[in-house]
Amino acid sequence: MLGALVWILFFGVWETAVSRGWVNALLVPSPVDVIATLYELFAERGFLGDVGISIARIIGSFLLACAIAIPLGILMGSFKTVEALFNPFVSAWRYLPAPAFIPILLMWFGTGELPKLALLFLGVIFFLITLIMDHTSQVRAELIETAMTLGGKRWQILWTVVVPAVLPNILISMRQMLAIAWTYLVIAEIVASTTGIGAMMMRARRFLNTDEIMAGILVIGVLGLAFDLLFRWLQRALFPYLSQEGD
Amino acid sequence: MSQPMDDVMPSAPDPSGDVAEVPKLRLKGVGKSFRLPRGETIEAIANVSFDARENEVCVLLGPSGCGKSTVLRMVAGLEQPTTGELTLDGEPIVGPDQERGMVFQAYTSFDWLTVQQNVEYGMRLNHVPRQERRERAEHFIELVGLSRFAGTYPRHLSGGMKQRVAIARTLANAPAILLMDEPFGALDAQTRWQMQELMMDIVAAANTTVLMVTHDIEEAIFLADRIEFMSRHPGRVHEEIIPAFKQGRRIGQKEELIGLAGYGDMERHILRLMREQGSDETAP
Repeated sequence: MLGALVWILFFGVWETAVSRGWVNALLVPSPVDVIATLYELFAERGFLGDVGISIARIIGSFLLACAIAIPLGILMGSFKTVEALFNPFVSAWRYLPAPAFIPILLMWFGTGELPKLALLFLGVIFFLITLIMDHTSQVRAELIETAMTLGGKRWQILWTVVVPAVLPNILISMRQMLAIAWTYLVIAEIVASTTGIGAMMMRARRFLNTDEIMAGILVIGVLGLAFDLLFRWLQRALFPYLSQEGD
Repeated sequence: MSQPMDDVMPSAPDPSGDVAEVPKLRLKGVGKSFRLPRGETIEAIANVSFDARENEVCVLLGPSGCGKSTVLRMVAGLEQPTTGELTLDGEPIVGPDQERGMVFQAYTSFDWLTVQQNVEYGMRLNHVPRQERRERAEHFIELVGLSRFAGTYPRHLSGGMKQRVAIARTLANAPAILLMDEPFGALDAQTRWQMQELMMDIVAAANTTVLMVTHDIEEAIFLADRIEFMSRHPGRVHEEIIPAFKQGRRIGQKEELIGLAGYGDMERHILRLMREQGSDETAP
């Protein structure tokens, strides 16, 4: 409840600044205008399609990145040889900012969906692999050794101890990296796209429609929050044993 | 375990008996050296030899740094000896196995499994049929007094209860020997002696051989049929101590143990050993 107070203050100051003429209304539209524009965008100008495309890009590329990063990260965190094989490659890529690949991705894949998916994929996967690898290698040795003295074989222990022990942390890593994925999505759509939330914002800039830009920012913020809530819900649903309440 | 228990447990195997039988566990000339990065080698354990018999509680006692945990880990198969041999029932020990289940000082409950599932875990690894798994788990959960918590996740259990889960889980898996590495070291004093008394019940009921590491003198005398006192630099068996004053009985309660003639002498003797072997000034 206390947190809402700051938001009310924020919008109050914003509204006051515009209505009193402290700022140029052309550059800073009032929050009321932004909400009205948002409604108009959704109701009359098919903005839902742009939002849908953006969400699809996020989910598609993120799931693909997870499908590779989760098994690879777990294997790298579990087996020294797998780590020795892949880690020099993976950690080098982390130092290459994904947007640096935009020009070449455009040349390779043209202007369709592929370059956007590739950018998001590249921006997320190497960090995700590293995070999951680190979490996996931090699974406590006593847990693994306990399973060994109970007669567990290597692969049994991987499946029945390492994976369940690391899963909650994997979900947290995914939640963190999904936020990063949104950043790359907007970059991709602003630089080279005619569809999606970012593209709409770039079109609006050409016509000085600051209210539409603000509406776009608002939508991205709300979507980010929604995905975050989804992950929190998943955390509770998948790992009930972590919850504070007794039974 | 709140119900009153018999003060006297079934008698322990007579340690002075016939030596011709094959011991349950035998360590012969076991040594372990580590190679430092500079090429120097450090001898951590040297020439450790002792036997533990069937259904005996054997305690490795000694000052910190004497390598008692390393010896236990070699018995578990989690570490390899550099020299010497270890045998269980006459068979050489190679790598970790179901027959040598270990309880650690750190809590090892699997958070994502209930108490019941934790205790069934080892049997699941070893493909014990479902029905038998459940019955054996229930039996051992009852033995450690956790029946009311069978459906609870470990997160909601106290430290002592988590260790009881670990003990039940290991015993339900039917090991030939139960290995324990300072299992009560992380518990508060009261929980600790409750667990020690519980251990006496468990050992009697489960009829199992135990090899346990501790640096708690009272705990060692209370639980042990045989104490291997280890000293440092390098770690070796300094003296084998049989608490003969217990006359082969297992005492169920600590106050009775402490009241026995001979307890004080043995505690004094071990304390002196601890002081001699544990301080760096007088170490050889």
